[in-house]
Amino acid sequence: MNWQIGDKLLGRTEIRDYAGIAPSADLLLIHKLADKLAGRQFLHVNSTKSGGGVAEILQRMMPVLDSLGIKTRWEVIKGDAEFFEITKKIHNALQGSEEKITEKMWQHYFEINRENANRIELEAEAVLIHDPQPAPLIEFRKNGKWTWRCHIDLSNPVVEVCDRIRQYCARYDAAIFSVEKFAQELPLDEFIIPPAIAPFSDKNRELREEEIGEVLDRFHLSRVKPLILQVSRFDRFKDPIGVIKAYQLVKRYNDCSLVLAGSPATDDPEGEKVLNEVREFAESDPDVHILMLPPSSDVEINALQRSATVVLQKSIKEGFGLTVSEAMWKGKPVVGGATGGIPLQIVHGVTGFLVHSVEGAAFRVRQLLNDPELAKKMGEEGREYVRKNFLITRQIRDYLAVFYILENKGMSVMEI
Amino acid sequence: MEEPLSPFEFKQCVNILKSTGKKARSLRELRDAITVVSPEALIHHTCQYYLKGHVLEYTNDFARWVAELLEERMLAEQLSGIDPYAYASMGEVRDELVRVIDEYLRIVGSAREMPPGDEFFFNEAITFVVPAGLQARNLAEFLIAIQYLDSSSIYYHFYEARIRLGGSDDFSSWLGGSLNKKTLAEKIRKIDLFMHTIEGTKRHIMEAVEEEVRKDMERVEL
Repeated sequence: MNWQIGDKLLGRTEIRDYAGIAPSADLLLIHKLADKLAGRQFLHVNSTKSGGGVAEILQRMMPVLDSLGIKTRWEVIKGDAEFFEITKKIHNALQGSEEKITEKMWQHYFEINRENANRIELEAEAVLIHDPQPAPLIEFRKNGKWTWRCHIDLSNPVVEVCDRIRQYCARYDAAIFSVEKFAQELPLDEFIIPPAIAPFSDKNRELREEEIGEVLDRFHLSRVKPLILQVSRFDRFKDPIGVIKAYQLVKRYNDCSLVLAGSPATDDPEGEKVLNEVREFAESDPDVHILMLPPSSDVEINALQRSATVVLQKSIKEGFGLTVSEAMWKGKPVVGGATGGIPLQIVHGVTGFLVHSVEGAAFRVRQLLNDPELAKKMGEEGREYVRKNFLITRQIRDYLAVFYILENKGMSVMEI
Repeated sequence: MEEPLSPFEFKQCVNILKSTGKKARSLRELRDAITVVSPEALIHHTCQYYLKGHVLEYTNDFARWVAELLEERMLAEQLSGIDPYAYASMGEVRDELVRVIDEYLRIVGSAREMPPGDEFFFNEAITFVVPAGLQARNLAEFLIAIQYLDSSSIYYHFYEARIRLGGSDDFSSWLGGSLNKKTLAEKIRKIDLFMHTIEGTKRHIMEAVEEEVRKDMERVEL
């Protein structure tokens, strides 16, 4: 069967396609676990079918799990504009921003989840609920092992909001966090599983020179000037204004252009407001290109990343920041904010640079623009680091392992 | 040439990381948490440190955090000097870690407290062990196989085995036992784990085995 997501027919990728690319230990364990779990139903529930890293990973993971004989479903919760305004506030508060969430809002949040529980078939042997939006679905659990998969930065949340979400989390069998510092003290098993990239997807596959050239021409981008790129939603936590400030500092010494590219997400009502602020801040610098791309712009993002001289991910709060691994997989040096999952991907001075300020970002970009050999070496190290740690096969391995561990609890070593 | 009775079956291991939910903001909290965390957590932060790659400055997570976050460099050096394989149990490793930290707190002290996000996070791992699909019946096959092993296999047979077997490792046990290559086994067993990445350790094993294979071949020619 083919997985149909919206109007887009996704290309299938089978597990055997990863032989020779993914680490052999990962592939061996995946096959062993798939044999043990064959025939079980695996259900994912999240809040958006496009835009953002979660949807993207799920789109790519489904066919691979299917090829392993694991029956996998992906359901997306539905909600009105008010629901997504509320969940955005919850999201922001969990990442540390002060937000006012009234009792009425919490009730609406729960009621929308109740409606979704009536609509979605929740029966499965393993249920993975992604992020806070559908977290209350646990109240309507029918059977199986339920795991809450948290993709966001919970290292310094607003306590009152975190406690509210914690009431739901405590009812799950397990929780999964992307980075150790996001884990909370909960009365359940907590696993640390970073997300990953799909190397054969349109966003990461090799591109022909003509494909790259066509994208550069379409967006009127120079093929000559060094290109600094940040790919991310237009979200304050990604610090797009800080990126422009860093670019302006670099520009005093090095001629270059800047591209800020992002896509809208249905669960992010703030995006347009931030985009307008960014446009206003960039004024009319002809070398600053702000691109709001449709969610299906994977080839365009891929081409931009492959054209970049240096890739930035100057987030001040970050769930994981998968664009870092995407750029590293394409052999690009990355300068990233030392937050969330970015330090897990950037080994400072080896696969890129970690920075803590606009000035730091500008300095490291200048260093890389002026030392192409260093940029090349970091790019090579980065690609190998991603191969070993951040390919989708590693994430599939970990999800299947958690599923198996929940069915066989109590052992710290499992020989299979 | 006579085949040994038991071939060497290569295995690989994969660690699935679990958070214990415990964290420490200060040296005092680190010390107190070390006294109560599971042996698996201590194994993860000491023995499994080398699986992370790109690390050689320190020899365990405790030393790295103490140096890079708390900036207590003297203590970091002392913690790096603790060899977890030199003790009979993780209980003894725990005692030594606590003794070293207590001594430092008594003489030097440490008042620094890390902000949220920079604490020491205690994790542990669940280890899956799977056959690598390779076996060796003699030294030449062993040499060829080892070239194709990834770091998780080297870790399992050469590092993790020291906990499992109480000081020895799978490679030297097999070489010294099944192949009766006592000198080679001793040479490999003595490779200093703390001075190499896993890939570096693999290269040293290969060099030692290759030299032995060459010696054997020269003897045949004579």
